[in-house]
Amino acid sequence: MFRTRRVGLAAGVACLAMTVAACGGGGSTQAEAGSGKGTITVWAHDGQPGEDAAIKQAVQEFNDAHTGVTVSLTLIPEKTYSQTINSTPASKLPDVFEFDGPSLASDVFADKLSPLTDLVSPQTLANQSSSATAQNTYQYKQYGVSVIDSGLGMYGNKKMLDAAGVKYPTSWKDSWTADDFQAALVKLAAKAPGHKALDVQENTFPGEWASYGFLPIVNSTGHRVVANNSAQDLDNPTVIAALEKFASWRDYIDANTDAQAFPSGRVALSWVGHWMYPTYSKALGNDLVTLPLPSFGEAGAKTGMGSWAWGISTSSKNGKAAGKFLDYLTSDKIVSAYTTADGAPPATNSVLTTSPLYKDGGPLHLFAEALQTPCGASVPSTSCVAVPRPVTPAYPVISQQFQNVIEDALKGGNVPSLVHKAASAINLAYQQNNNYGQ
Amino acid sequence: MAALDAPPRPLVRGRGRGRGRGRGREARAAGLMTLPAIAGLALFVVTPFVLAIWLSMHYVNMQSILPPRWVGLQQYVMLFTNPAVRGQFYRALLNNAVFTVVVVPLQTGLALALAVALNQRIRGTAVLRTLFFMPVVFPMALVAVVWKLIYSPDQLGMLNSVLHLVSFGQIGPIDWLGNPHTALAAIIIMSIWQGAGLQMVILLAGLQEINPALYEAASIDGANRWQQFRNVTLPGLRNTLIFVSTVTVILAFQLFDQIYILTQGGPQDSTTTVMFQAVTSAFTDGNIGQGAAITVIFFIIVLAITLIQRRLLREEREVQ
Repeated sequence: MFRTRRVGLAAGVACLAMTVAACGGGGSTQAEAGSGKGTITVWAHDGQPGEDAAIKQAVQEFNDAHTGVTVSLTLIPEKTYSQTINSTPASKLPDVFEFDGPSLASDVFADKLSPLTDLVSPQTLANQSSSATAQNTYQYKQYGVSVIDSGLGMYGNKKMLDAAGVKYPTSWKDSWTADDFQAALVKLAAKAPGHKALDVQENTFPGEWASYGFLPIVNSTGHRVVANNSAQDLDNPTVIAALEKFASWRDYIDANTDAQAFPSGRVALSWVGHWMYPTYSKALGNDLVTLPLPSFGEAGAKTGMGSWAWGISTSSKNGKAAGKFLDYLTSDKIVSAYTTADGAPPATNSVLTTSPLYKDGGPLHLFAEALQTPCGASVPSTSCVAVPRPVTPAYPVISQQFQNVIEDALKGGNVPSLVHKAASAINLAYQQNNNYGQ
Repeated sequence: MAALDAPPRPLVRGRGRGRGRGRGREARAAGLMTLPAIAGLALFVVTPFVLAIWLSMHYVNMQSILPPRWVGLQQYVMLFTNPAVRGQFYRALLNNAVFTVVVVPLQTGLALALAVALNQRIRGTAVLRTLFFMPVVFPMALVAVVWKLIYSPDQLGMLNSVLHLVSFGQIGPIDWLGNPHTALAAIIIMSIWQGAGLQMVILLAGLQEINPALYEAASIDGANRWQQFRNVTLPGLRNTLIFVSTVTVILAFQLFDQIYILTQGGPQDSTTTVMFQAVTSAFTDGNIGQGAAITVIFFIIVLAITLIQRRLLREEREVQ
């Protein structure tokens, strides 16, 4: 064991030396266009079973179509995916890789993502939804295309809600306040077999979910987790009070160790994203309702947005071929397949307006509604609903720290000191990196 | 590491010393034969360590095109003084100390008890030995995942449902890994369960080295089982026990796998360890310099403890 660790360290050091050597140039290197033919390597995250099947089938069909480009796909487990991209030097990255939306700025800062202009077709870029284009653009250049976006909200079990006599909101405008929501939890827990009322997907901790799912609590108070290269806005009495409120619901939360808390009817509410829709709608059928998240403050109910996107690495020697694959991935056929597979909001205009799930009157229209009123990078207010995760090279640190706050707060930790600790760690990262050149 | 060497054989050493002729040739041969080992040590221990010291004096971000920036001893100063990292570092040192102080005697004691029990000439010992050794064969990652299910926080967890059953529902579900008061204890218990089998096998081998005539002589002298254990078994196992406890100390300081899988250092740093903080600093936060500084400090601590142990070991041999 002792030996193994040392070898690991040596490998780490060697890889680091390569990183430094490979990163001699400045930011936003363009991938080489190449011949537009041949084999390209692709990395994708191994996450939701539906998405996995969709990407595997897409690659299969793309290869069978004999366009002169062959795709060699590698799936990497979601839990360590971003870490793998972060610790792989740019020169060792595949031609095409998937990245989680908020890590875009960090990948650009590390000179790992190439601008897409001239590599993918103009039609592909024009068909991207406005929220997808916003997510994939950094400092006026577009570095990625999205197949899907994401929707976040609350799923409800209509039968259980009605049995407990709980009235529920159906649009972002008339969402629960935190106090109303708490009253609903008390009523629901009293009726539930295990005396729990809410699922927050604790079984997927630790990971990005804790940041994606609960940053809207901070945004709902009208504050941002970082602003002007500082986390001072996070370490704020209003934010702390909101997080304390959320953490105080821990007694009503089912640990969901078997991932069955909501589909099996142990709890009436599940705070989770679009990806659980296929499972939930299969289990509950017509009893499944989609609700907004509660509002914690003056900015009103907020939700998340942004999802995995696809980019071309700066080290690719075959940018044209990689671009062809991205054109194919964002075609109506593949986007529809993804949407059907895991209930994700489509990231292209053409599918968004026709998708049976997201079009007006569809069961997930609430998510589409939120995505149509994005807040951008400005201070969240009542005039918008979907807030992107902070676009900054510090995002990996921010996400890690915020996850710790949420997880430890739910385990009964002291919220003010947790928030204060996270804010100082985020501030330290900005200081140590000279504000990432911003 | 030197402490792990096999006990010296005075006979061999004596012969080498006694023969004047051919000593130079032997020395050359010895030098030649140790060369691969020395090359390995230089490549895999000395070089990374020197690089770690160099890295610890820099600010290096994996996810950045900026070149490493010289910061001198700032990483070390920060670990001990900066409120954003100091808390976790002190807690990690404390947790490592608690883990070692609890695990080494308990695990060695348990292994000794198992070894003595399974050294009897009764039926089924081979099966029992295999069963107790089995956790060692499984990778820690696998064992940790199994224990995650045992410690599962709700009524579905094996431990919780057993407690619920035997207490007639009086003991409600406990979040073993999620409660700062129970998390480290839970890790300690599963680590002892996983590790005791290895020591048991080593101690069993030690037990079988003890000359049965000594037990015969003792029983003729009228010694009871306990007196035999105190005066024959324990002295006969002295060197084996020292070896076993030294290895356990080193493994205890390495504590990482089960933490990474079961708790990620949480809740509220109650199970964080120095190795865990080094790895997460470097590979999650991307702060390679800080990770390197932690490993350098850690190396010095482990080196100091190993030197102390080596000293104690020598004294034991002199007594023999």
